[in-house]
Amino acid sequence: MVENFFEIQNGYFTASEKNKVNDVNLVIENQGEIVSLLGPSGIGKTTILRTIAGLQKLSKGKIKLGKRFLASDDIHIEPEKRNVALSFQDNSLFPNYKIIDNINFGVKRTNGNSSSINVNEIIELLRIEPILKKYPHQISAGEAQRVSLARSLMSKPDLLLLDEPFSNIDQSLKDEIQVSVKKLLKRINLTTIIVTHDSYEAFSMADKCGIILGQELKQYDIPYNVHHEPNSIAVANFLNKGIFIDVQVVDSECAVHRLRHDELGEIRGKLSNNFPSGAKVKLLLQPEDLIHDDQSKLKLEVVDRKFKGTNFIYTLKTKKGEHLPVFVHSHHIHQHEKSEQFGVKSPIYIDHLVCF
Amino acid sequence: MTKYNIWFFSSVLIASIVALPIITVFFSFFYETSNYFIILKNTFLLDYIFNSIVILFFVILITFFLGVLSAYLVSFYEFPLSNFFSWALILAFAVPGYIYAFSIIAFFENYGTAFSLMTYFFGESNYNLIIPKIDGIIGAILAISFSLFPYVYVLTRASFHYQSNNYIEVGKNLGLSSKKTFFKIILPSARPAIIAGLALVSMECLSDFGTVSFFSVNTLTTGIYNSWLSFDDLNTANQISFILLLFILFIFSIEIYSRKEARYHQPGRGYKPITKIKLYGKNAVLPIIICSVILFLSFLFPVSQMIYWTIKFPKYYQDINILNININTLILVSLASVSIVTISLFINYGSRISKSKILNYLTNFSISGYAIPGVILAVAFITFFSNLSDFFSDNFSLKSTKGIFIGSVLGLILAYFIRFFSLSFNGIKSSYEKINNSIDESAYLLGYSKIKTFLTIHIPYLRTNIILIMLLISLEVIKELPITLILRPFNFETFATQAYIYASQDLLEAAALPSLFLIFWSTILILLSSRYILSKKN
Repeated sequence: MVENFFEIQNGYFTASEKNKVNDVNLVIENQGEIVSLLGPSGIGKTTILRTIAGLQKLSKGKIKLGKRFLASDDIHIEPEKRNVALSFQDNSLFPNYKIIDNINFGVKRTNGNSSSINVNEIIELLRIEPILKKYPHQISAGEAQRVSLARSLMSKPDLLLLDEPFSNIDQSLKDEIQVSVKKLLKRINLTTIIVTHDSYEAFSMADKCGIILGQELKQYDIPYNVHHEPNSIAVANFLNKGIFIDVQVVDSECAVHRLRHDELGEIRGKLSNNFPSGAKVKLLLQPEDLIHDDQSKLKLEVVDRKFKGTNFIYTLKTKKGEHLPVFVHSHHIHQHEKSEQFGVKSPIYIDHLVCF
Repeated sequence: MTKYNIWFFSSVLIASIVALPIITVFFSFFYETSNYFIILKNTFLLDYIFNSIVILFFVILITFFLGVLSAYLVSFYEFPLSNFFSWALILAFAVPGYIYAFSIIAFFENYGTAFSLMTYFFGESNYNLIIPKIDGIIGAILAISFSLFPYVYVLTRASFHYQSNNYIEVGKNLGLSSKKTFFKIILPSARPAIIAGLALVSMECLSDFGTVSFFSVNTLTTGIYNSWLSFDDLNTANQISFILLLFILFIFSIEIYSRKEARYHQPGRGYKPITKIKLYGKNAVLPIIICSVILFLSFLFPVSQMIYWTIKFPKYYQDINILNININTLILVSLASVSIVTISLFINYGSRISKSKILNYLTNFSISGYAIPGVILAVAFITFFSNLSDFFSDNFSLKSTKGIFIGSVLGLILAYFIRFFSLSFNGIKSSYEKINNSIDESAYLLGYSKIKTFLTIHIPYLRTNIILIMLLISLEVIKELPITLILRPFNFETFATQAYIYASQDLLEAAALPSLFLIFWSTILILLSSRYILSKKN
């Protein structure tokens, strides 16, 4: 059997009575994979990172890195001996050292991962050049985060943990830095766990994404599946991608599955879970699922319209009182005002029919 | 769960050492006393209490007035020399109350300096009749007030200084006049700082021994000292201490409470420094005069009086072995500051890494030491170690061990430790708390061990602060009178004890030289640490 690179077996993470995550099973099969943990604030994501780093004790279960157990019921390896780097969300730079010296603090570790990585390259990549000679109190929060990341990278850890690493970085710089950090992590083959509450960040950075809700790891899968096939109503609600409407399964036997909604009519696609024909279920309807069509006979009343830059989101109301979100490209030549009728292409076709 | 590790036991040890005087005083209450206490109770005790309260009342009044007025002027106005005054006003810290007292007597006594000055300017006459005799309780009030007002000044000024300009702007925006802004916004928000300053003044005032004893005013502290020295009755001394401690603890709790409140008044993120009002020409005259008068009365007057006498009476140069006193002072200052700071660092580090609540309570308990007046501390110290020594010689037939702690440099350092541990512990703590916990954790994750983190991250960061705390302890040790007087080895003099002994033998002229040296070294220490004293938020 091939050994997993990193593993949490039935891990219980506790910071306080409210802030805990129970019975976590998480596997990173290969070195160099990037995993993101996504969840609302204060749910215990940071606790998981701190426990993996050894700053807090694991309440129950096992954590294994390579062949070595980092923590279990009777093992607790001290943080300085784990070779696990954690880049903190808040400022953790040494206040009495210049930025360059702070980064060099990381370099001193010798027994680390031997992959080639160069200080100058990181400084350039993270755009730290102009502030090298400054002290931590003279730089912005976003800059401090980048320096902290650089310091962690330079320590050549076996496992890198990032706690909301881009939260203070300007939006304009964020995307660019995310891309280059991901490239770098992949090149030096550094296994990384990123904690974030931003789903776009979690999806774009990671090979696999874990959703933490209600004190447990609800779903752990590739980002595409997490987005398109959330495994519970809670996950779908957290990702806030759409609404649930009541439908009835008409046909779940053929290649194309068919559902029926009282007002929208027939909805076709592929069911992600199996239901017998005739079952009454809740269908996840995401904004990109309905398509605007002025010619269509299926008309719904507009109750709200939001301009989002690249698109509009219309909210349509059914007679039953359901509010359905619909994306329309913002170059769309005409706009519909409130209480106007809005045509929706029918029959409706949705690739992933997510029902519960 | 509390871990019984080295940090726990050392904190318990420190807490119990610092608590020695309080515990001793408390237990002595249940001991038999000689008849002296009964006689005292029926005669002078009420006088002692009355005098202490009268002095306290007027000292609070005067220091409030001097401190708040001067802090207001230098914080809100810019006038010629205003920057100079803002640090020069703390020089009064260099002149302890008892030396100020010598200056008052030297100036106003019959044929004193005032007499000489008037003779010089207006010709010979019997001016003794018209020169007011500032003596007794009034002299004590003035001397103590001028030596203590900087406490109120420093804390109030810091509070004014860190007060965000936003509040003042909001006040103006809401239509308040300058006067109303001051009384409705500025003064109330500085109230916790002013009360904290006055509480410190009160504790120091009640603790004062040198000044009241010199003016022969009978207060609780002189009562304690006399019971010990004149009547050799330690229990009576401790029972008077108990009464004084009740007063002190009352004020101590006010102080702690107002400090807590002062925290809410710290500036947040939107802090903007105050825009000072510029004063030119005529408008600047009054503030300059006020600040100059305060500076003159509090610092220049006693200094020039001491210089004048030192020059006028050179015959005492031979009597006083001033080099020896300098060396003695250096020994005390270095031993005390190094040991106190080292132990504070050690305990601070321990409570930082062990994060235990009990440890926090213990250390908080240990810092109550600074509230205990030197006289009480010294007398309780003697009581405790005499009893301990008796206990050992009775039960284990050991030779008397009194000499190890009483009348020895070791005992003196231990007593200084009890008195000044809180100063040092808190000073280091406030700076230590600024090092975020995640900074330690980052260091561990970068492979640094705990001890290496301490040496490469903490110590370099705390370095400036450590030096400043050592300067402040040195300043306190140089000025300290009652503890040194009571516990010093035979014939071992400091500037303070030498000056006090001459003065109490009515040889005021001889007291001038050691007093001047004391002021000189204190001034240097204050100048070196002025940046820190002035920036103190609390």
